Amino acid sequence: MTHATATKQVLLQRLEGLRQIPTIPAVLAPLLRYLQQPVEHLDVQKVTDLLSQDKSLAAQCLQMANSPLFGRAQSSQSLRGAVVSLGFHRVSDIAMSCGVLNMLPRDKTGLDPVVFWEHSLGCALICRHLAAKINFSDPTKAYLAGLLHDLGIIVNLWVLPKEFRTAWETAKAGGIPLHEAEQKCMGFTHCDSGRLLAERWKLAPELIEVVSFHHAPEKSVDHTGLVSLVQLADLLCRMSSLNHGYVEKRAVNLREEPGFALLSQHSTTLKEFDWARLTFELDSYMDEVHSLVRAIYRT
Amino acid sequence: MTTAASLGPMPRMDGPPEPELVHIRDVIYRAAGIFHPDNKLRLLQDRCGRRMQELKLQTLRQYLECLTTHPQRQAELVALLNEITIGETCFFRNQPQLDALRHVVIPNILQAKSNLPLRRLRIWSAGCSTGEEPYTLRMLTLEEAGGQLKDWSTEILATDLNERSLAHAQQGVYGDYSTRHLAPSYRSKYFVPLDDKLQVNAIARSNISFTRLNLSDDSRMTFMKSMDAIFCCNVLIYFDLASKRRVIQHFFNNLLPHGYLFLGHSESLYGVNDDFRLVHLPGATAYVKGERVLAGGKSR
Repeated sequence: MTHATATKQVLLQRLEGLRQIPTIPAVLAPLLRYLQQPVEHLDVQKVTDLLSQDKSLAAQCLQMANSPLFGRAQSSQSLRGAVVSLGFHRVSDIAMSCGVLNMLPRDKTGLDPVVFWEHSLGCALICRHLAAKINFSDPTKAYLAGLLHDLGIIVNLWVLPKEFRTAWETAKAGGIPLHEAEQKCMGFTHCDSGRLLAERWKLAPELIEVVSFHHAPEKSVDHTGLVSLVQLADLLCRMSSLNHGYVEKRAVNLREEPGFALLSQHSTTLKEFDWARLTFELDSYMDEVHSLVRAIYRT
Repeated sequence: MTTAASLGPMPRMDGPPEPELVHIRDVIYRAAGIFHPDNKLRLLQDRCGRRMQELKLQTLRQYLECLTTHPQRQAELVALLNEITIGETCFFRNQPQLDALRHVVIPNILQAKSNLPLRRLRIWSAGCSTGEEPYTLRMLTLEEAGGQLKDWSTEILATDLNERSLAHAQQGVYGDYSTRHLAPSYRSKYFVPLDDKLQVNAIARSNISFTRLNLSDDSRMTFMKSMDAIFCCNVLIYFDLASKRRVIQHFFNNLLPHGYLFLGHSESLYGVNDDFRLVHLPGATAYVKGERVLAGGKSR
């Protein structure tokens, strides 16, 4: 048995006794379930009450809600005010983002959780932005898909921290993609471990595909458009300062990525799309994401 | 081209930007290919403010009209572009671009040329102005002379239309402003003090040729062959679309198959040329020829 195969078996064993991995904060599950109802059934006070049950989560949500990244024209002092002006959909995005933050270990050796969260949040925002600009057929799912695509990294950080750290350091030293180094050092990637957790959590089928195939969208079965959108947004992040905490030493031509051809089937405007302008626009996002994440992480 | 109106919410420093400013940003991008993201809009407003002061205009709306409907709009656009690019020239102006050249592009080029008998790297600084860019490129390649460029010869071709700029470049004497990003190790290795300024030393001058060249001179452009990389930063913004297309076509013809074209920060070829392909490098963008698999292209 090779070292890598042995590690994969250890992963499976440790995942079985999954006690170490924190689940989505208790308050989030009922909130997200509630927000899935048709908008006309939703009540602002009920959403505010659900969020307020976890004081720390409520404070983080308010901080995010007041960021220009979520489209606020004026800052809001109260959670209720934020819910009213942002709308239920954005509140759901924000609450889930804070949930992911709270799942991260605080250990900063290897891949810094702050860096990981910046990448996840950045990818979520780029997915949302890109989906709107290319008239993607299902833009409402884009944010959450971008946010959760690297769920497997959270698993790796909790379940196999030493082995994952070696993989991350190998990736950093070689300037290669993280999933390649994971495969080499551990025998599996965050796509594999993320899939196990996503299935255990019974995430929506499209999210399970995003978590499993965002490095190989051609393997996606039912949700190729969304998976491809995430693949391209993830690449844009990794070639920017919203990367995995190191520089990947390579040149990426998005048009040659499998996700590009696949996404073209879900967007009539993608072939003529101005990627240069999008890249320049992201400069603003990067600054905002860095400052927002650092501010929230201190609270 | 996507208009500002269709954008989702974007970050901003303090409240939403004025619609006129966003419109001016789009006018500049369409005409000159240079884009100001939201976090640079205050800078753009400041530059517009200087022009408005000159023209004695009170509001951005008046200035927008001046850029779009006034008979002298073309001249005004050039004046604004001058304000935008003023003071841009300095050593190591765009560090992420230079890092990408050193750590990604040069290794890719060397790999592509590994089977060729002639181990020569040719880089062209097209529109080199007062010389900071070609000297930066020379210093960067000298830093690699004992490493990845060992046994390789490097040639830097530096061209500009303006004779006065070229004379300055050849003299190689620079003040504090131009050298503000220069690391101490580079100062000591590649410069000698001259009064209260710095002069580029003989090592950093080696293998650079300065030549006067008009990028619109088709007959001379045809002969700038066999380039591995071309830098043309904030030069094409002054060209009209037809001239820009001609220059870009020359660049395309003059680059070797594995070659890279670098433009200025936030400068784009969108709508100008379909033969070049945008590539994303760490923290920077560049253009390459046609569809082909680049190093690392299989990784996702």
